[in-house]
Amino acid sequence: MSTLLPPPGEIAKIPVDWVEERSGLVSFGKFMLFRNVPKDISWLQTLGSALLTVFILQVTTGILLAMYYQPDPDTAWTTIKFITDDATLGWLVRGMHKWGSSVMVVLLFLHMGRTFLFGAYKYPREMTWITGAIIFIMVMGMSFTGYLLVFDERAYWATIVGVNINGTAPILGPALSWILMVGPQISTHTLSRFYALHMLVIPSLLGGLIFVHMLLVVRLGVTSPPWSRMQVTEGDV
Amino acid sequence: MPRLTARERRESYQREYAFQKKHGKSFFPNAVFHDTIVSLIVVALIMGMAILWHAQFGSVPGEAEAGRIGGLLGPAYEAKADPGVLAYDPRPEWYFFFLFELLRLFKEPALLIVGSVIIPTIWMVLLIGWPFIDRNPDRRLSRRPIALALGVMVPIVLLTLTFYGSKAPGAGGAVSTEPGAAAFANGPCSTCHTLANAGTAGNVGPVLDEAKPDYETALNLITNGKGGMPAFKGQYTADQISCLAGYVATWSGATGTTPGPSAPSAKATYPASCEAAGGDFAGVAAAGG
Repeated sequence: MSTLLPPPGEIAKIPVDWVEERSGLVSFGKFMLFRNVPKDISWLQTLGSALLTVFILQVTTGILLAMYYQPDPDTAWTTIKFITDDATLGWLVRGMHKWGSSVMVVLLFLHMGRTFLFGAYKYPREMTWITGAIIFIMVMGMSFTGYLLVFDERAYWATIVGVNINGTAPILGPALSWILMVGPQISTHTLSRFYALHMLVIPSLLGGLIFVHMLLVVRLGVTSPPWSRMQVTEGDV
Repeated sequence: MPRLTARERRESYQREYAFQKKHGKSFFPNAVFHDTIVSLIVVALIMGMAILWHAQFGSVPGEAEAGRIGGLLGPAYEAKADPGVLAYDPRPEWYFFFLFELLRLFKEPALLIVGSVIIPTIWMVLLIGWPFIDRNPDRRLSRRPIALALGVMVPIVLLTLTFYGSKAPGAGGAVSTEPGAAAFANGPCSTCHTLANAGTAGNVGPVLDEAKPDYETALNLITNGKGGMPAFKGQYTADQISCLAGYVATWSGATGTTPGPSAPSAKATYPASCEAAGGDFAGVAAAGG
């Protein structure tokens, strides 16, 4: 019987080959990982992947928080208090989500500044910049909608001021305020709406856009720094 | 270098990049190694901030439902939001301070929209459309003077706005003993409005010492709100609104103990309405709020 079995090294390949043959997932992974980047890329070009890490961290801690949080004006604050004071390591999960958002905004500015100074938004990477700019605006939207959820005094009044600032825009402004608050003032529906925006609408759009942004980066390749000395010499390529 | 057409320039870049890629290194494990180190540092930083934040918490509040104080990195949480409690100084999260400060630069109600809508919209359009605006094909900073100037100026402007935004005053200063002053200074008015008599220095909304609204205008604005200003109808009683409007009309633009130019408009109702409203009502939940 034993002669019919392939050697052990081959057995491990069977499921991998099975998946590859039916999805091409393995070659996709190889395409993402085993591609060449210019020899002289710099440490400054690690900020994008750091942002991806923080995004994954925000998703993970956000899911954990959602398991305890209730988007109801009567209980929202109590569940935040429970997470912070009583739940095992709840303070760490909430703290990392809270400070993760600040770190994410700082990293976004640095990543954008690096792209700007490298001129990395120029041909052929214009679309990578545009998706990145929309990601930036969406992250600011995540921060704004997340702020209300704690439902303490600070969250409540800062959101009122924020929504009213939106409301100063002509024509669309008052309508936007009304849509955000679901009426003239913050109510039960406001909190559910912010919760839905914060953990369903914006994150799914954001996740999709980050995926597109990354595909573009892989397709177009990482730029070499503008001070790169690598030049095409005659007869090469 | 001879002048190239746009098409030749694009082809030249593709050639150059193909060369760099051919003579480059594999993304895995070279770049992945650097990425992993930076990601680990960032995660450690976030965890460190959470730990520092937690380390400075005060004791767990009891059933009194107060907030839990913190240290350098702020409280664990503040008291539960209560629409009835109007004595609050709202502040955005720090990364919106630049926007907050931008609003303070446009104090006139007619100009508020410049800071709240027009400038942010222009900024967003510039941000998204930047690759189409900057047509200079060169990537070296020495050949991109305009981009370099912008790249230096924009962070300086943002950091300056953020810095002043963080210092933006809410309530504070000496409060006069005039009827309505305490309610004004301790209530939500103080967050956005400067009124010397009440000792407040908010700059989100108009400076009342400059606007000097008459009684009817103030009454209407407090009742119904306008633009960034919330409507307080339902949060304050009619007497309380009348008291605040009378106080604002009387003491905005005042010099010392001489009432301001709009004072006569409030004569009939002020300060009688403040007595009816019951002194400093800033922190008192209005019935039926």
